[in-house]
Amino acid sequence: MSRINLIRRQSNLTKKSYYHSTSISLKPKISVAIVGSGPSACYTAKYLSSTLKQQSKKGLLTGTNIDDLERVDIDIMEKLPIPFGLVRMGVAPDHPEVKNVENDFAQLFAPSDSEKEENIESSIEFFGNVGVGTDVSVEELRSLYDVVVLAYGCESDRKLGIPGEDLEGVYSAREFVSWYNGHPDYVHMGEKFQKVLHDPRNSSVVVVGQGNVALDCARILAKGRDGLNDTDIAKHALEVIGDGVKTTTVLGRRGHVQGAFTIKELRELTKLGDTDFIVEMSELEAGNTEATQAELDGKGARPKIRIDKLLRDAAEKSGSASSKKEKQVKLRFLLNPTEFLAKNSDHTRLGQVRCERTKLEGEPGHQRAVGTGGFEDITADMALVSIGYKGVPLPGMDESNFDFKRGVVKNTHGKVHGVENTFVSGWLKRGPSGIIGTNIVDAKDTVSSIIKDLQNVPEDEIEGRYGLQTLLAKKKVQYVDWDGFLKIDKEEKSKTRLRTDSQPREKFTNIDDMLKCL
Amino acid sequence: MQAGANRQISNHTVDAEVGKNLLDIAHDNNLELEGACGGELACATCHLVFEQDIYDSLPEKEPEEDDMLDLAMELTDTSRLGCQICVTKDMDGMTVRIPDDGY
Ligand SMILES: Cc1cc2nc3c(=O)[nH]c(=O)nc-3n(C[C@H](O)[C@H](O)[C@H](O)COP(=O)(O)OP(=O)(O)OC[C@H]3O[C@@H](n4cnc5c(N)ncnc54)[C@H](O)[C@@H]3O)c2cc1C
Ligand code: FES
Repeated sequence: MSRINLIRRQSNLTKKSYYHSTSISLKPKISVAIVGSGPSACYTAKYLSSTLKQQSKKGLLTGTNIDDLERVDIDIMEKLPIPFGLVRMGVAPDHPEVKNVENDFAQLFAPSDSEKEENIESSIEFFGNVGVGTDVSVEELRSLYDVVVLAYGCESDRKLGIPGEDLEGVYSAREFVSWYNGHPDYVHMGEKFQKVLHDPRNSSVVVVGQGNVALDCARILAKGRDGLNDTDIAKHALEVIGDGVKTTTVLGRRGHVQGAFTIKELRELTKLGDTDFIVEMSELEAGNTEATQAELDGKGARPKIRIDKLLRDAAEKSGSASSKKEKQVKLRFLLNPTEFLAKNSDHTRLGQVRCERTKLEGEPGHQRAVGTGGFEDITADMALVSIGYKGVPLPGMDESNFDFKRGVVKNTHGKVHGVENTFVSGWLKRGPSGIIGTNIVDAKDTVSSIIKDLQNVPEDEIEGRYGLQTLLAKKKVQYVDWDGFLKIDKEEKSKTRLRTDSQPREKFTNIDDMLKCL
Repeated sequence: MQAGANRQISNHTVDAEVGKNLLDIAHDNNLELEGACGGELACATCHLVFEQDIYDSLPEKEPEEDDMLDLAMELTDTSRLGCQICVTKDMDGMTVRIPDDGY
């Protein structure tokens, strides 16, 4: 045994000074509805529940009669019958370690251990197969619950807005990712991908964008069946991708130091057995402006410096590449797509992506890509536009609260502008950035706003969970509770469904099939 | 690492089994430290800050740990990922800080 001191700054969320000293009484039971079940919803539920419990335990809130609070019910509504959002429908199938967070989230829904003595009881329930805005409205939730938290993520994507974007063969990375991850709403895309990639080993794909989603797409396209057989990638995707695509080019307007990707995902591209990773030194140099050097010298530049080095090493290797592997992933910089061009043989289908060569201008941290007048056409049977997921309002939501440009709900520290007792968390609050862990601080920020506002919760009795169940029954919505999800989960892992012993699950890609497990 | 005058610090002294990793130690003691990927070097949520001399005595990082540390918040020169650090006898009496995320 060793004695170790673990120290942490006292959480803002549990500091006494954080609360108004005037006495406010709270009703004994608070009901909270959360829309969505991704990381932001789960972390919001986790910290809301744990913070309230800690406060009552420590008696930190004696100034504020929060001791009156006996019970918190948190109901998580998800439009799919299964939870966890992009952990299931975004995170790449060859990143199973990242999906381990599902085990942590699952504990939220497990019946709490009754041995623990807690002053506040809290229960978190899952309501799958309940679309908010379709099956129930936000207004209905607001009348049933004391607090509503919007955490439904980004259901759309940014468009490039250039000619040819509607040609056959041009799709969004979001559609492609949702399809290979077996999202029920995107199964129909398979036919389209199949058509443009009918001969993967002789096909070229261009991915526009330089974030991790773009790199995920490139890696999945390159790996093909051999590299993905043991993952939970949907069977229909393996059938289309086959042994992998011959050439995948990932390109972006700015330089390698301005890219949004992270080093782990880049390093993976250097380690694909049967695929060359190609980076052009001339493009790294062209982006190496004085301002770029300043960016590499600046505070917090460590990740950029390491990416710069990794890519320079890769470029040197590709320069001297004697090995010519069967497949290639090329990472290209300072290229701005200006038009999708049709094939000569078929004017409805994509054949090339026309790009303008750019150069960087501007101050460190604010460099822009400016056109140089030089163009390059890159052959492509398929193009995936990966310039960002985008949030949209729910049907029936008051659109004056929505910032359409950023694709987020207007808010201050997660409190939605102009609507009482309504909050927002995750991608819908800050836009599509960061990793799963980023949603932790983000959720804590929202939780602190919720707790600050608890005093404004009207005293009237509301129906909460019971009211929702009654409403769903009246509307004949068959919701999936946590036990129901566990049945689906078990069935997906059943040996009879799996291609190999190590495959974690074969997902259901159809809602009816999921509901049949119940 | 002591914080400014009016900041409250919570300090937990725990008995740590030699050989166990610090993420598990924190969880065994109900301390708030996330371990989203369950110790598989895929999340950076288990970030901890060490005293210089302890940091110097820790086993070298794998490049994969450095890759994940690049994503950690409030990274310092003596940061490591808690799930990768196992308790040794030499750690008796050491102080480890859970980074301040502002909440
Ligand atoms: C392709 C991709 C790969 C990624 N890979 C990684 C990775 O490897 N590591 C990492 O750390 N991070 C990764 N991320 C980032 C991570 O997934 C996000 O940070 C996180 O999922 C955001 O959480 P969220 O809860 O805000 O949104 P989401 O995860 O999108 O959750 C929103 C949920 O709301 C549901 N919903 C939508 N509309 C409604 C409605 N009307 N009613 C009810 N429910 C609704 C959705 O079905 C979904 O379940 C990746 C992201 C993407 C897109
Ligand atoms: S728990 Fe994920 S990196 Fe340590």
